[in-house]
Amino acid sequence: MNKCIIYKISIILCVVLCFSSCKHHDEEYHSVTDKIKAESKDYHGTSISSEAYIDHINTIEVTENDITFLIPERKGEIKSYSCTECHSKPLTQMQNEDLKKAHWDIKLSHADKMTMNCVTCHNGNDMDFLQSLTGDQIDFNASHLLCSQCHQKQFNDWTGGAHGKRIESWAPPRASMTCVNCHNPHTPGFESKWPERYNTQKINERK
Amino acid sequence: MSSTNKKWFSLNLNSKHKQGSSSCGCGKTSGGCNSHKEPNTELSEEEFFDAAVDASIGEERHKDGFDQVFDVKMSRRSAFKKLTASLLIGAGAVNTSCSFLAGDESKEKAQIDWEEQFKGNYKLMNNDEKKATVDRLVRSYQLRTGKTISMSSTNAEDDVLFGYAFNISKCQGYMDCVNACVEENNQDRNSQMQYIRIHEMEDGKGFNFNEADDNYYHEVPAEGHFYMGTQCFHCDNPPCVDVCPVQATWREDDGLVVIDYDWCVGCRYCMAACPYDGRRFNWSKPEVPESEINKNQHYLGNRLRKKGVMEKCTFCVQRSRAGKNPACVEACPTGARIFGNLLDPNSTIRWVLENKKVFRLKEDLGTEPKFWYFMD
Repeated sequence: MNKCIIYKISIILCVVLCFSSCKHHDEEYHSVTDKIKAESKDYHGTSISSEAYIDHINTIEVTENDITFLIPERKGEIKSYSCTECHSKPLTQMQNEDLKKAHWDIKLSHADKMTMNCVTCHNGNDMDFLQSLTGDQIDFNASHLLCSQCHQKQFNDWTGGAHGKRIESWAPPRASMTCVNCHNPHTPGFESKWPERYNTQKINERK
Repeated sequence: MSSTNKKWFSLNLNSKHKQGSSSCGCGKTSGGCNSHKEPNTELSEEEFFDAAVDASIGEERHKDGFDQVFDVKMSRRSAFKKLTASLLIGAGAVNTSCSFLAGDESKEKAQIDWEEQFKGNYKLMNNDEKKATVDRLVRSYQLRTGKTISMSSTNAEDDVLFGYAFNISKCQGYMDCVNACVEENNQDRNSQMQYIRIHEMEDGKGFNFNEADDNYYHEVPAEGHFYMGTQCFHCDNPPCVDVCPVQATWREDDGLVVIDYDWCVGCRYCMAACPYDGRRFNWSKPEVPESEINKNQHYLGNRLRKKGVMEKCTFCVQRSRAGKNPACVEACPTGARIFGNLLDPNSTIRWVLENKKVFRLKEDLGTEPKFWYFMD
């Protein structure tokens, strides 16, 4: 009889200890990742929205890797789109004629010449569209599809949000910059520069 | 009971009327303070002066400062009398500033100062009280400078837990984030306070903070180096909050660790407790040129601080609670900084946590920072 009670008490104690030892202070989660997992189960959305901040830009919706988000519209940002306003003839003819020169400021520094040149992305016979490696048309507004042919890793990170930047707001609906908003497609690398700031006070303090 | 043993306090200056032994001016009930002479004895002026000096400083001649303050035998009654007297002096000061001779503005200023002085801890305020203090601060700023600021007291939103991810592969050490942070958060320009530190680390040496340079000035990115930033990590189990003796810092429901600058006593325990050097102290009065002041403020965020209080990154509470990205995220030209709602399963920050190999600094301390690092 007595033994039975002792057993029962010890079992209850064990149970209590098991459940209480993993608690963080007065909260019920062992770690912040547990907390995120548990609390986001019944996530209903918030009243905070990005709409007020992305209102002023023209966006288009894209769905890549099953993720849907907004990117800035591109064609309207290109100064002399559509290209056929000037490129009325095939490129080879235009190059031979004595026409006004254009695009002199474009410096191509994207992969090496063995790998890429102008026609890797542009179609001299149809300048209003980009072209894929297999010669398919790619709209200027969907230029990320062109980049993603080679830069698969960056592309996947971008669709998830690990590469690139959100526009102004963290809140849904998500609007992200597209490739060409940060990278000049002709010279996509980032230049080195001097830091924006130098803390002279810190130098004094550490003397 | 003698007639001199009054129930109220009256200043007994230069009066020959002696008080009863139980209410000696020095607070002693025994005759130790030498102020007790036989009643009805006339004193010469010199004798009276000596007696008065003895009565007032008596024992203090051979007591050090600490004992003078704390080793005083005082009855409850005389303690209350002294308190009342000092309160009367305070009330007098207020009365002066509120007198009819002073202008309406200075009266209002004094009224605001008074209410601000005796307001409670922001953490314990209800929404009306929060709004009232914010209104007072805005009005006070207007009265003092003639300029209008907007200050918010927006509370944490349900279903929001802020988190941050930092891409070490992307950071190039440009420090645009530091600049944006200083401007956004009205940090002291004289002491060049910065919440964010960008560490330049040598390739192949890993996270070696001892050898890292957090104040470089040369063309970046430098050959053979990588860059990573630290700031307040908004720990879910923040040690800085635990050590605060006055509860002037706490974790809000959306995960932000914030400070009530008006409740902080400046003891800097939190600075010592933070394992990440996330906190900053105002050794001097913070100064920001009027033209550079960011007037979009939050009580817990970038409102103007005073001397002797702690401050730190708040993930730009004035921006983040309104739905905007913190200033550092917005300023980063490389996209190394990712911010968002950890509770939203579709947020970009969640994608990073679930798909990249993330880690945090000093994870073994159990501080649970909500600031993850990752690489491409």
